[in-house]
Amino acid sequence: MSKVVEISPTTRHEGHSKLVLKVNDAGIIETGNWCSITPVRGVEKLAVGKTPEQVPKIASRVCGICPIAHTIAATEAMEASIKCEIPKDALMLRHILQLANRLHSIALHDILILPDFYIPGTETKINPFTAEEPVRSVAKRIQRLREIGQTIGQISGGECIHPSNTRVGGMYRNCSEQAKTKMYDLAKEGLVLAHQQAEFMIAVIRNYHKRDFVDVGGMKVALPKNLGFHDQGYLATHAFYGSSSLEECPSWDPNRFKEVRPWDWYMGEMTVDLEEPKYPIGGTTKIGTKVNPQMEACTGIPMYDGQPVEVGPRARLVTYKYFDEKGTQGQNVAREMEYQDCLYEMIDCIDLLNPNGKVVADYIPDGDGSLGWATNEAPRGTDAHIARVKDWKVQYFSMLVPTTWNFATCSKALEGAPWQLAEVIMRGYDPCVSCATHMIVMDEDNKLVAQKLIQ
Amino acid sequence: MADKITVGYTHLSGCTGCTVALADNYAGLLTLLDKYVDLKYMPTLADARHIQKVDVSFVEGSCCINDKLAVEELKETREKSAVVVALGGCACYGNITRFSRGGQQNQPAHEAYLPIGDVIKVDVYIPGCAPTPQMIRNVAVMAYLLLKGTKEQKDLATAFLKPLMMAAQKGTTACFCDLMTEVINQGLCMGCGSCAAACPVRAITHEYGKPQGVRDLCIKCGACYNQCPRSWFSFDVVSNYEAINEAIMAALQ
Amino acid sequence: MGAELGNYKSCVSARSTDKEILRHAQDGGIVTQLFGFALDEGIIDGAIVAATKEFAHKHPEKAMMDNSNMEFHEPWRPIPVVVTTKADMLAAAGTKYNISPNVSLIKEATRSFGLDKVGIVGTPCQMQAVRKGQLYPIGLRDVGSSIALAVGIFCMENFPYQSIIQLVEDHAAMKMESVRKMEIGKGKFWVYGKRGQVVQLPLKVTHKYEQPGCHVCLDYVANLADVSTGSVGSPDGWSTVFVRSKIGDSVWGKAMAAGCFETQPIEKVKPGLELVTKLANEKITKNKKTLEERATFGVGKALRNPYI
Ligand SMILES: Cc1cc2nc3c(=O)[nH]c(=O)nc-3n(C[C@H](O)[C@H](O)[C@H](O)COP(=O)(O)OP(=O)(O)OC[C@H]3O[C@@H](n4cnc5c(N)ncnc54)[C@H](O)[C@@H]3O)c2cc1C
Ligand code: SF4
Ligand code: SF4
Ligand code: SF4
Ligand code: SF4
Repeated sequence: MSKVVEISPTTRHEGHSKLVLKVNDAGIIETGNWCSITPVRGVEKLAVGKTPEQVPKIASRVCGICPIAHTIAATEAMEASIKCEIPKDALMLRHILQLANRLHSIALHDILILPDFYIPGTETKINPFTAEEPVRSVAKRIQRLREIGQTIGQISGGECIHPSNTRVGGMYRNCSEQAKTKMYDLAKEGLVLAHQQAEFMIAVIRNYHKRDFVDVGGMKVALPKNLGFHDQGYLATHAFYGSSSLEECPSWDPNRFKEVRPWDWYMGEMTVDLEEPKYPIGGTTKIGTKVNPQMEACTGIPMYDGQPVEVGPRARLVTYKYFDEKGTQGQNVAREMEYQDCLYEMIDCIDLLNPNGKVVADYIPDGDGSLGWATNEAPRGTDAHIARVKDWKVQYFSMLVPTTWNFATCSKALEGAPWQLAEVIMRGYDPCVSCATHMIVMDEDNKLVAQKLIQ
Repeated sequence: MADKITVGYTHLSGCTGCTVALADNYAGLLTLLDKYVDLKYMPTLADARHIQKVDVSFVEGSCCINDKLAVEELKETREKSAVVVALGGCACYGNITRFSRGGQQNQPAHEAYLPIGDVIKVDVYIPGCAPTPQMIRNVAVMAYLLLKGTKEQKDLATAFLKPLMMAAQKGTTACFCDLMTEVINQGLCMGCGSCAAACPVRAITHEYGKPQGVRDLCIKCGACYNQCPRSWFSFDVVSNYEAINEAIMAALQ
Repeated sequence: MGAELGNYKSCVSARSTDKEILRHAQDGGIVTQLFGFALDEGIIDGAIVAATKEFAHKHPEKAMMDNSNMEFHEPWRPIPVVVTTKADMLAAAGTKYNISPNVSLIKEATRSFGLDKVGIVGTPCQMQAVRKGQLYPIGLRDVGSSIALAVGIFCMENFPYQSIIQLVEDHAAMKMESVRKMEIGKGKFWVYGKRGQVVQLPLKVTHKYEQPGCHVCLDYVANLADVSTGSVGSPDGWSTVFVRSKIGDSVWGKAMAAGCFETQPIEKVKPGLELVTKLANEKITKNKKTLEERATFGVGKALRNPYI
C-alpha cells in the first residue's frame, strides 16, 4: 500500500515550494511531485503595455538570486525584437556581470547544501554558521568568494543584486581603466579561492555519496547509489552565456518548446497518511491534511521535444564538456566544476574590455512587433525570454525560467529514492522558486511563438 | 545564547534579493550570528520550517491577499514578534508588485498585492530595492542595543530607529513622485543629488541641479525619497555620525 | 547659540603653497590642494568635484549623465565629475554659484569608476546628504565606507542656473562668457569680467533669486564635513579652515607636514571667527524663522518640516 507524505515548505533554497510524495512500504518514492507554492506576481502579464526599458528592470525582480540572467535575457529579448545590435564592449560588460553573478551564486549554494553533508571522516554534519574550525574558514572563504563576485558585478553592472547599468541598446556606462584593473585583481584573487573551494566541496560531496547510510533527523536512511538519477534529457544553450534570435545559428529552438499546465502532469487530490515528527525541522505535514499538487502548483510544465529536461550546471557540462556523472552527486560536482571556469572566462572578458569603447548602440529602433527571444544561462539553468515590442511598447513577454524547467525533471528524479532524501535531491537543482512562478505558455495556443518566428 | 536577540525572517512575495542583501554582509554576517542574532527561522538560509516566537521579524516581499497561506503567515508573524521590520521596497511599499494585475497561469487569481503595512502594523521600515547590506546590519545592531543594551545604548538605538519607525507610520506608497510632492513642491529640494544616486533603476537624472524622474521607469521602491536629506533628517543622530559608525564597526569586529 | 560653528578640532586661516592652484582657486585653494595631496598620498583615488559643462562635454566618461544638450555651451554651469588627476582637479577649481548635484555621483564613483576611496566636495547640505547616506544607506550600498575625504565649503545660499544668468546679464550687465570669477563677500555679490570690469551687487538684489530649498538650511560652515572651508573670516586670498573629524585631522596634519599650506592663527587674522559666527548665526536664525513660518503657512495647514 502506498502512502502519501508531504514536506512543506521545503527549506534552504529560494522561494516557497513543497514536496508531495507517494511512497511504498519501504519508504521509497513511487511518484514525487515537487511544486512551487509562491504566489504568482504575473510579471508577463503586467509587462504588456510597458516600455521595453522598464520590463527588464521588473523582470530582474522576479528573482534576487539570478536577477542578472533575468535582466540580461529580458533586455536581449527586447533587443532581439527591435533588432538592435549592441556594441562589443557592452556585451563584454554583460559577460563579466553574468559570470560574477554565477560566482556568487555557486558560493551561496555551497552554504545551502553544506548542512546535508558530513565533515569527511566524521559523523558530524556541517553547520556552515558554526564558529568552529574547519568550517569557519570555509564559511569565510565562501563569503569572500561571494564578495568578489558581487563586487565585480557591481562595477560592471552598477548593482550586483538587481543590475542598473544594463539598458536596451547596451549599457549606460563603460568601466574606467581603474575599474577594469580592480575587477582583474579581484578575479585573480577569486581564482585561487575558487580552486580551494571547489576541491573542498567535491571531497565533501563524494564522501557523502560513498556512505551506505545517512542520518536524517535521527533516522538511519540507506543511501542509494543512484540517488537523483533520471532518464530525461538535458538542455543548455551556451557553456556560460546564452543565445538569441539575432544570431545566425541560435542554440535554442522555440519550435521544439512546448508547455502544459500542471493539471496534466501532477497528482490530484490526496490525503496525507504518513507523518514523521522526527523529520527535521518540525516534522512533516500532519496526517489527514488534504493535498492537491495539480491545483496548488504555481508553475507550468515546460518541455523540450515533448519531455521535461534538466537545465543547469550538469546540463551545460554534458552539452559542452562531455561530462557524464549522473544523479545528485553529478549535479553538485558539476556546479563546483563551474567555479574555476567562471573566473577564467571572466578574466578573458576583462582582458578584452576596452574602457574607451562605446557601450550604447547608435540607433535603437522602436520595434515593429517582431518576435524576439534571448536565452541566458543562469547559474541554475537556461533562462529564455521571449518578447514582442512595437512602437516602444511591449506587446508580449514571456519568461521560461530555469527552475521551472527543473520542476518536472526533478519530480522524475525523486522516483526510487527514500523519501527522507527528497530535499537532498531537490537542493541539487539549486532551486530558485519565486522566479519559477512567472513562466507562462504562449497565451492563445502553444504554436503561436513558433509560427510567428518561422514567418 | 541568552544575550542574543531572537530573529525570524518571513518570506512573502519577494524575490529573495533582500535575503541576498542580508547575506552580503559577508564576514559581518558571521559576526552578527556569532554575537547578536539567534536566527530562529528563515526559509532560505536556515533550516527551519515554521514561524516562531521572536524578538524581531524581518518580512521580505508584499502580501498576496488572494493567497490564504501568505496572509496567515503574515498575521502569524505579527502575533509572534515583538518588532516587525518591513525589509525592502516590496514589503514597505509594494515595489514592482504594485503593478501586478493577475491573469497569469497557474494561479490567474493571484492579483492583489499589498505592502505588509496594509495588512498588519509594522514597526520599522528598511526601504530600497534591494535594501543595502549596511542598512540591514545597522538595524540589526540597533535592535540588539535596544533590547539588550545599557540605558545609553537604548537611547541611541531609539534615536537611530526613530526615523525608520516614522517612515513605517507615514504610509505604504512610494514613487519618484514623492520627490515632487513632498520635497520639490514643498520648497525643500536643494539639489544635492542623493536621490539620483540612490535610485536602483536610474530613473532619476539631474537637470540644472534638480531631479527629473522617468516615471515609467520607476519601480516604486522608496529609495530616493528616504535617501533624500530633505525627507527626514535627525540632527541628533546624523551629527554623531562618526561615533555611531565607529560603534557599529566595533560591534562587528 | 554656540553650536553654529559645529564641532571642530582646530581652526586656522590658510592658503595653498602652490602658486598654480592659487591662480585657479576661488580663495586659498584649500579644496584643490587638499584633494591633490590626498590623491598623491593614496588617501583618495579620485574625487567628485564640480566641473564646467565644457569639461563634461570633452570628457563625458567622467561626468554625471543628464539630458542637456552638451553641444550647447553654458558658461558657469557646473556638472559633477569624477576626477583622478591633479590636472582635472585644477580644471574644476573655483566656485560656481549654482547647483552642482555632486552627491549624484557618489555611488557611481565606486562602481564604473572603480574607486575604493572617494573624495567629495560639497556645500553643507551635501555634507548632510553624505552623512545621512553613511548612517542610513537606503540606496547607497557599499558606499559609506568608501568615502575617504569629504570637504565642505561654507554656504549662505545657492542659486538656480537661470538666476545666475539674470544676475550677471541683467543686473551686472555682463555676458556670462566674459565673466572671470564670481564671489560673495563683504555683503556683496561680485562679478569680475575677463577684461578687468568689476561689478558689485547688493545682496538685497540677489535674495529673490535664491534657491528656495536654502531657506530652511541650518548649517553655514559644513559642520558634518571632515574639513570645511570658506573665505569668510580670513583676508583676501586666504581661507578659513575647520578641521572637524578624525579623518580630517589626520589628512590635514599630513598635508601640513608636507608643506601644502601656509597658515596663520585664526585669532590673529581679520575679521576672524567673529564674523563667521555672526554670519552663521544670522543664517540659522533667519532660516529657523522660515521653518516656524512654514508651520503656520496655510489655514490650518503646515508646510513640511524635514527635521525630526
Ligand atoms: C553656492 C556656494 C555658496 C558659497 N557661499 C559661501 C559663503 O557664504 N561664505 C564663504 O566663506 N564661502 C562660501 N562658499 C565657498 C567659497 O566660494 C569657496 O568655494 C571655498 O572657499 C573654497 O575655495 P578654495 O579656494 O579652497 O577651493 P577651490 O580650490 O577653488 O575648489 C573649490 C571646489 O568646490 C567645487 N565647487 C565649485 N562650485 C561648486 C558648487 N556649486 N557645488 C559644489 N561644489 C562646488 C569645485 O569643483 C572645487 O573642487 C560658497 C560656495 C558655493 C558653491
Ligand atoms: S525589495 Fe527588491 S530585492 Fe527585495 S524582494 Fe522586492 S524586488 Fe526583491
Ligand atoms: S535628494 Fe532630495 S534634496 Fe537632494 S536633489 Fe534629490 S530631492 Fe533634492
Ligand atoms: S525613482 Fe527610483 S528610487 Fe525613487 S521610487 Fe522610483 S525606482 Fe525607487
Ligand atoms: S544654503 Fe544650505 S541648502 Fe542651500 S546650497 Fe547652501 S548648504 Fe545647501
